[in-house]
Amino acid sequence: MSNGNKKTVLILKEKRQVPQKVKDNLKYFVKIKKEILKALKDKKMTVPELSEVINKPKDEILYYLMSLLKYGFVEVDGIDDMDEYFYYKLKDNG
Amino acid sequence: MQDNQKIKEYDALVIGAGIAGGEAALNLANLGNKVLLIDKDLTVGGKMIMLSKVFPTLDCSACITTPKVSEIARHSNITVLTSTEASDIIQKDDGTFEALITTQPRYVVVEDCTGCQLCEEACPVNVEDEYQYGLAGRKAAFIPFSIASPRAAAIDIENCTLCGACERACPTHCIDFTQTEEKYTISCKTVVAATGFQLFDPTLIPRYGFGRFKNVITSMQMERQLAPTRPFNTVLRPSDGKMPDNIAYILCTGSRDKTVGTPICSQVCCMYSTKQAQLLMGALPMADITLYYLHIRAFGKGFNEFYAQAQSMGVEFVKGKVAKITEKEDGNLILRYEDINTGKVTETEHDMVVLSVGILPNEGITGLFTNRKLELDPFNYVSQSSPLESPAMTTVDGVFVAGTASGPMDIPDSILSAGAASSEAANYIRKVSQNKVTV
Repeated sequence: MSNGNKKTVLILKEKRQVPQKVKDNLKYFVKIKKEILKALKDKKMTVPELSEVINKPKDEILYYLMSLLKYGFVEVDGIDDMDEYFYYKLKDNG
Repeated sequence: MQDNQKIKEYDALVIGAGIAGGEAALNLANLGNKVLLIDKDLTVGGKMIMLSKVFPTLDCSACITTPKVSEIARHSNITVLTSTEASDIIQKDDGTFEALITTQPRYVVVEDCTGCQLCEEACPVNVEDEYQYGLAGRKAAFIPFSIASPRAAAIDIENCTLCGACERACPTHCIDFTQTEEKYTISCKTVVAATGFQLFDPTLIPRYGFGRFKNVITSMQMERQLAPTRPFNTVLRPSDGKMPDNIAYILCTGSRDKTVGTPICSQVCCMYSTKQAQLLMGALPMADITLYYLHIRAFGKGFNEFYAQAQSMGVEFVKGKVAKITEKEDGNLILRYEDINTGKVTETEHDMVVLSVGILPNEGITGLFTNRKLELDPFNYVSQSSPLESPAMTTVDGVFVAGTASGPMDIPDSILSAGAASSEAANYIRKVSQNKVTV
C-alpha cells in the first residue's frame, strides 16, 4: 500500500533501526546461499559432500539446503547407493 | 498505537482459535450468535492444523481441519481476528463482559492479499521457521504455511531488513508498513476460554541432550517431518540429512515426572507416538522403530487395536525408562535404560531419538480478568467448578472452558469439550438477554 507516492517502508525506516544481528543474518544467508548454489552448479551433491566442499557443519548445510529447496532453488535428484543420503541439484527454473 | 474507543458488541468472545475454540465458535454462530474469535497466532487452526494424521483412524489432520477453518472464515456470524489477544476483561453487574482487544500489526492488508507469495519470493531474508519448529527457514515476508487461514502474507518485523522488496513486488499493493498496534474495547455476553496447551520444553531434562545432540528431536518436529507440508524432502536426520533407519521414541518426556513439575499424564503421547511409529514404517519401510515406555495408556475407542496394529507392523515396544542419552561421533545416540521386563540396565544405539513431549497448560489466562478470579486447578489448567454437572463451567459465571485449556485431552475430546462449552455459553447468552443473570 502506498502512502501517497511514498512507499510505506520508507516511512517505517524513518522511525525504526534495523538491528545489526538482522543485517548479519542476511549477510550470512546470502553468502552460504551463494556457496551452496555454486557447489551444486557442476554436479549433484549430498549434504556431507556439500559440507566438505563448503567447510561448514552438516546440520547447518541441511538447514540452508532445505530452505533453498523450499524457495525453489534446488531439487532432489535421487539417493546414494547405500540408500542413506539424497543428492540435491540446482533446479532448472527455465 | 491507535485507540479505538468505539465499543463493538458481540454475543460471545472465544479466546483461542484452535480446534476447540473454532468448534465452539461455529456452534455458537450456527445458533445465531455473533462471535468474536481471536487468536494470538497469525492463523487459525491451532496445533491440529500442523499435525500429519490423527490417531487412531490415521485420517489426514489438515483434511479435517481445513474445511472447519474455511467454514469459520466464511461464517457471517463469526469475526476472526488473528495476532490478537484479549485483556482487562471486566464482568458487569448484568453478567455481561467488556474486554480490551489488542491486535498486533501484520503489515499486510489481509483483505487485499491474494496469497500470491511474490513478496515471499522477493524477500532476501531467511530466518528459522517456527511453523516447522526450526527445522528449515522462512522469509521475513511470509505466509505461515500453505493451508493457513487467512492465507495472507505477514511481515516478521523483528527480522525484516526494511529493504522494501516485498512492497515493490506486491501486485495488489497490500503491504503497509504504517500499520500499528490497534486497541479497542468490545462487549460480549459470554467468554469461552479455549487457550489450548503448550508443549513441554525438553531442555529441562538435560540428560536427554535436546538442543545439544542434533538427532534428538521432539515429537512435534517429527510430526512436521511426516506432514505433507514438511520441512525436508522426506524424514531426515537434522545432523547430516541421512535417512534414519533406527529411530527411538522416549515416552513420558515431561509427563508423569514430578522432577520437572509435570506429575500428570498428558493423555496423548502414547497414541501419537504409536501413530508416528506407524507412519514412519510407511515412510521408511526399512527402519526399525522402538518405543521406550512406562505404561502404554491405550484407553480410548480403538486405541488398543491401534497399539496392537503397531506391534503387528513390527514396532518394538520396550518397557523401560531411559536414564541417559550420549552422542557418538557419527551422530548416533546411545540410550541407557533399565529394561523393566528383564531387570537389566541396557544400552542400545539408535540413529535418531524422538522425545514424546507432554503437554502443559498455557499460562496467562487468569490474568485476563480484572474483577473476577478465574481459578486454576492444582496443575494450572482452568479449574472446572463442577466437572460432573458441566465440564465447561469455570469459577466465573458466564466464562466457559473448552478443550485442553481445562486439561490434557485428545482431539475428539477437545471437540466434545467445545460442544459442552458452546451449549453452556449459548444458554448463558439466552439468560443474559432475558436479564435473568445477576452477579
